[in-house]
Amino acid sequence: MGDHCGNIYQLRPVSIIRALPQIKDHRLFQLKLEDGTTWESFGHQPGQFIEVSIFGKGEAPISISSPPTRSDTLEICVRRTGRVTDALFEMGKGSTFHIRGPYGRGFPVDLLKGKKLLLIAGGLGLAPLRSLLLYSLDKRKDFDDIILMYGTNNPDNVLFKYELLSFFDRDDINYLYSVDRDDEGIWKQYVGVVTGLFDRTDLSPAETYAVMCGPPVMYRFVLQKLLKLGFAKEHIFMSLERMMKCGVGKCGHCAFGDKYCCIEGPVFPYPEIENIKEAI
Amino acid sequence: MKTLAKKDINKILSIWSQKHDVLAPTKMDNGDCIFSAFDEKAFTLDYKKPPLSPKSVFFPQSEIIFRVEKNRYNEVVAAKKALIFGLRSCDMMGIRQASSFMSRDNKDIYYQARQNAAATVVMACPKAQNETCFCTTTLSGPVAKKGFDLQLYDIGDTLLVEIGSPRGEELLTGMPLAEMEESQAKQKIDEFLQNAILTIPEVKSVIDAMNKLKDRKIAEKVWDDFGAKCITCGGCAFVCPTCTCFNVYDHQQAAGEGIRLRAWDACLYSGFTREASGHNPRASQASRLKRRHEHKLLDYNNTDIQDGLCGCVGCGRCSDYCPVHIGTLEVVKAITG
Repeated sequence: MGDHCGNIYQLRPVSIIRALPQIKDHRLFQLKLEDGTTWESFGHQPGQFIEVSIFGKGEAPISISSPPTRSDTLEICVRRTGRVTDALFEMGKGSTFHIRGPYGRGFPVDLLKGKKLLLIAGGLGLAPLRSLLLYSLDKRKDFDDIILMYGTNNPDNVLFKYELLSFFDRDDINYLYSVDRDDEGIWKQYVGVVTGLFDRTDLSPAETYAVMCGPPVMYRFVLQKLLKLGFAKEHIFMSLERMMKCGVGKCGHCAFGDKYCCIEGPVFPYPEIENIKEAI
Repeated sequence: MKTLAKKDINKILSIWSQKHDVLAPTKMDNGDCIFSAFDEKAFTLDYKKPPLSPKSVFFPQSEIIFRVEKNRYNEVVAAKKALIFGLRSCDMMGIRQASSFMSRDNKDIYYQARQNAAATVVMACPKAQNETCFCTTTLSGPVAKKGFDLQLYDIGDTLLVEIGSPRGEELLTGMPLAEMEESQAKQKIDEFLQNAILTIPEVKSVIDAMNKLKDRKIAEKVWDDFGAKCITCGGCAFVCPTCTCFNVYDHQQAAGEGIRLRAWDACLYSGFTREASGHNPRASQASRLKRRHEHKLLDYNNTDIQDGLCGCVGCGRCSDYCPVHIGTLEVVKAITG
């Protein structure tokens, strides 16, 4: 878990290589370590998160959007929504701040190797899931079929638009995109909630692992769908959002049931949380 | 067994004060007794349950963790040599449970530094401090089983001394000790324990409530009713010896200068779980009360509770101080209805 020199709140200075606008109030920040080392020394796994620390403002948990296979930069996709992210949005190329991490249990990449993957993302849920998506594409031979389902509320809110468009040129990933509403009639793909995409592709539930990240309402409906299709509960993984203040299982903000989301999650196999009413 | 004369205790505390910040039961003008810096005149051995446990010795209400100067930060680990005198076994168990949590998985050096620097001298509890004591139920009293450096038994003019650690042994160096024959001492302790236990009856509803929680047999109405009453002051968490939740704040004092501090927080507050998106997994006061009590009685960590019953140590302070009567005792009563 990184280099903490004994203090679990130890920070590492980073600087911004590029800040790329995504959609309204969402920006992708590419970061480098100020100590000159590559991100390999950071040792992150897909699905983990960091605490972004800006003096005078505070700390905020942000998921890592880039895979460890690309160690020249660490990418975080940030929604502007509070003191820390406001400050981050005021920064540009060359600006420095601090981070801590990597934290939490990420996606079970070793377990997923050799398996068919169904990745389901809703809205900003694509940000953490992208680390696994790009990881599996970078190590394409390690995985069987890859299916990506991504839903947003409208065509204006599609994240990583150009990257997603580039998948149209590949035949080794099956992608299905949806928007809840398309008032202007510009969307060429499916219009409706993300679960509607299940009727538009063939799945082999017995051999497929489903990994999802999105808003709580999406989880409820996608879970129903997956279980109805015959997915084993053990084959379903979900990344939960919580207010993870300290990231090291101490401050208590992210706890539910007997779990601390920041150290035992944010990625949970469904059987671990299915009986905790508050989890989803 | 070693003994100390009660009349010497002021002198002994004065000697300990030379090398420690001694916190001891201190009589306030209003009659309350609190843990405060040892003062010969205000010190008393005739005290009831202090309103606050001594948890702030290890986990201050607010503490600076970083100091930022010219955009560079320095960690501030401030630990003074302290000695807590006169804490009861329930509070000792609170310290043991909180320490286990703070030291596990990722060690919290701020807590640990303070803990390592603090000695504990427990006064075995002679009787229920008031009607909300239930340490015999939570297996945390009336005497401490371990964790202390010294434990004293008040048997009249004499204090029996149980040594719990090498640091405890060291504290006794040069003190005016006497000796009591082991079998006689054992008999005195047995008597002490018997008398104390008689005044602290077991509260069976705590165990019944734990079982009902385990079976998920609680009507949501129980929590809805408490939720409607709760005034969200967070006091129950602040007086609780095992509550260690905190928030982290930055105070900017000038450009690139400031402090980062952490301060007690409470899971009763609506913002405690609110996420950046605005979504709040515990959106109602009922759900927050449920969480607090389930954490103590159901979802506690088996390692952290040590040899206690659960995440509650039976000190009864939440029942003593909640302005609208939502302490553990009232909650278990409602659950077992």
